Amino acid sequence: MLFHEVYSAYFSAVSEILARAVDGSLTSDMLKQICDEKAFSESFLKIIPALTEEKWQLLYPDMSTQLTKAPSQPLTALQKRWLKAISLDPRMKLFAFDCSFLDGVQPLFVPDDIVYFDKYTDGDPFDDPHYIEVFRTALDGIKSGSVAEIVYHSAKGNTRRIKCRLHLLEYSEKDDKFRLRVTGCRNVDMLRVAGIESILLCPGLYFEPKPPQPQRMCCMEAELTDERNALERAMLHFSHFERETSHLGGKSYRLRVFYSENDETELLIRVLSFGPMMRVYASESLVGEICRRLRMQYEMGIK
Amino acid sequence: MPFSELVKNFEKIRSYVREFYVYGFRIREEFDKKSGRTYDNERRRLECILGEYTLSSRDSRGKNVFLSIDSRNGGRDPLYRLLRTSSFTDRDITLHFLLMDMLDETAPLTLAEILERLNSYTAGFSEPMIFDDSGVRKKLAEYEYLGLIRSEKQVRVVRYFRSETPDISDFSDVLDLFSEISPCGVLGSFIIDERKHSFFEFKHHYISHALDSEILCGLLCAISEKRSVTITVHSVKKNRTSSCEVVPLKIFTSVQSGRQWLMAYSPVVHEICSYRVDMITDVRIGEVSLRFDELRETLTGMQKNMWGVVCDKWAHPQHVEFLIHIGDNEEHIYRRLLREKRCGTVERIDKHTARFSAELVDSAEIRSWIRTFTGRLIQLDFKDRTAENLLRSDMEKMYKLYGIGGDENAVP
Repeated sequence: MLFHEVYSAYFSAVSEILARAVDGSLTSDMLKQICDEKAFSESFLKIIPALTEEKWQLLYPDMSTQLTKAPSQPLTALQKRWLKAISLDPRMKLFAFDCSFLDGVQPLFVPDDIVYFDKYTDGDPFDDPHYIEVFRTALDGIKSGSVAEIVYHSAKGNTRRIKCRLHLLEYSEKDDKFRLRVTGCRNVDMLRVAGIESILLCPGLYFEPKPPQPQRMCCMEAELTDERNALERAMLHFSHFERETSHLGGKSYRLRVFYSENDETELLIRVLSFGPMMRVYASESLVGEICRRLRMQYEMGIK
Repeated sequence: MPFSELVKNFEKIRSYVREFYVYGFRIREEFDKKSGRTYDNERRRLECILGEYTLSSRDSRGKNVFLSIDSRNGGRDPLYRLLRTSSFTDRDITLHFLLMDMLDETAPLTLAEILERLNSYTAGFSEPMIFDDSGVRKKLAEYEYLGLIRSEKQVRVVRYFRSETPDISDFSDVLDLFSEISPCGVLGSFIIDERKHSFFEFKHHYISHALDSEILCGLLCAISEKRSVTITVHSVKKNRTSSCEVVPLKIFTSVQSGRQWLMAYSPVVHEICSYRVDMITDVRIGEVSLRFDELRETLTGMQKNMWGVVCDKWAHPQHVEFLIHIGDNEEHIYRRLLREKRCGTVERIDKHTARFSAELVDSAEIRSWIRTFTGRLIQLDFKDRTAENLLRSDMEKMYKLYGIGGDENAVP
């Protein structure tokens, strides 16, 4: 049973409150703060009276508790089954994960139970020792905030040596690839992990700290005609973007999708997949590119 | 009943959250399934749990509230919070913390000892909570099922231990990654210390799968034990809910459209069918299916003719073929074909031309992918002429929409 109170935010908040009570540091002023941090915006209205009015008999009026140790909870059977399942994932080789404590546990699923039928087939080589080494070094560098010297082969075949600060790792489920976000290097902010030939952490090296450049965001505005279930498809398709939708009446809807300028080509491809059900009005560059492709197609004709 | 952030049944909030997150354009009056008061409660619950993502806008129809989340920003799925809203009683929470405190991994306790300790734990309160034999026995059985405790029978007496707590403090990176990319990742998110920063971000990340976690978990449990299930499915087209018994075989997930399907054998129609996971509202696990392995093998065999999830065993696979023009310095187009071809075949005919072909049980499913090559399509050849003609007529409509080809009336 996945939806159960043992996983609830209220239990987490009370656990934290009782941990403080056990070590003697709890004050009544802390109660709301803990509720806000661990649960939701109105949770304190329920949790604090329940504890202080003895409905939940866990806390005495002097902010002490009858518990003998800070609360903790063992892993549930489902959590263990999930951990066992992910231990079988090919991407787990990227980590030094000792799962011997899960011996004898039945996995919740095995890789063959799930089919990602439209995942790209040129994903990263997760079992390649060189790739694993690069991934682990990059992750260590991100955690320590280290500067790194990287030799990188771009997708276009150019090789470059760069010095940068490592920021984070981005994973795309569609591409099945990791990319390393870096800062402090001119014209480079994202590197394919699979394109890194070598990575050397230089923790002692001075490097002027620069915050990551915010990505330039654009807005696509489109009118959607709800035919052949296009509304439902589009709403889900673009659901991972920040967006707004409004009903214009009848079968017409207006969709505004906010996307990074770097992803415009990808968005173009996705918009084209909807065919005439989606008419794009902005951004100008996106409309221009759609028109260019259509013009090419018109001139080419289809036999 | 006064408003509560917590709910007994997740299904109560699942459909509302989907409306607010996936669609987000309906106004209060358009939520016609339930009363206005129910809408107000669900909106308030959402604002309590996901306040920072809740926005509203107003048009001539009125005000609509919606969730706007860019899943690329921030390494953790905010919708997982919704699965931490299970309600409980005063007794449930008190008993939980007391049991977890008194039980040990090595020195077990009998029911009588547990009862005695429980009552002494609460004795210091002004009106002590009294615990009875049957209530505590029930809770112990529930916790044993959940895996939090285990029992051992020693000479007719059952003794209860706390389950072992492995040290997983070194697994934070593993949990940060897999809780976002793995099915039922919410189970991992429950273990994560949210105060720690995640070093991962995710692109093309369909966080709405979080809403289907409980249903998916039930289906995966059944698949792992080769059991049949009774599923309750809501049909949007027919606007009705129905139940059926099926043998669940695999989960098909689209990483490009955000949808997930259960592929299952239906004994009623004697076919393997697909069911959208987000449309399943209940899963009851049934008996072990003796045909599971054979049916799963059949599905695996059918995959070579499936572009998506349509797997009609009576339909003959039909030939689909198209030619693509590859310009100078456009090798990336050829690479795109290779990595996205799924069950199809790609041949390089000459420097500037490549051919894609496939034998598909449903040619309609591939149309939207073919449209993504607009501007490079040289030739289309579908055995299913209806599907091909629709693709051609869609292209004509596109020319008209964007004023290509000298249409004077089109809006540029």
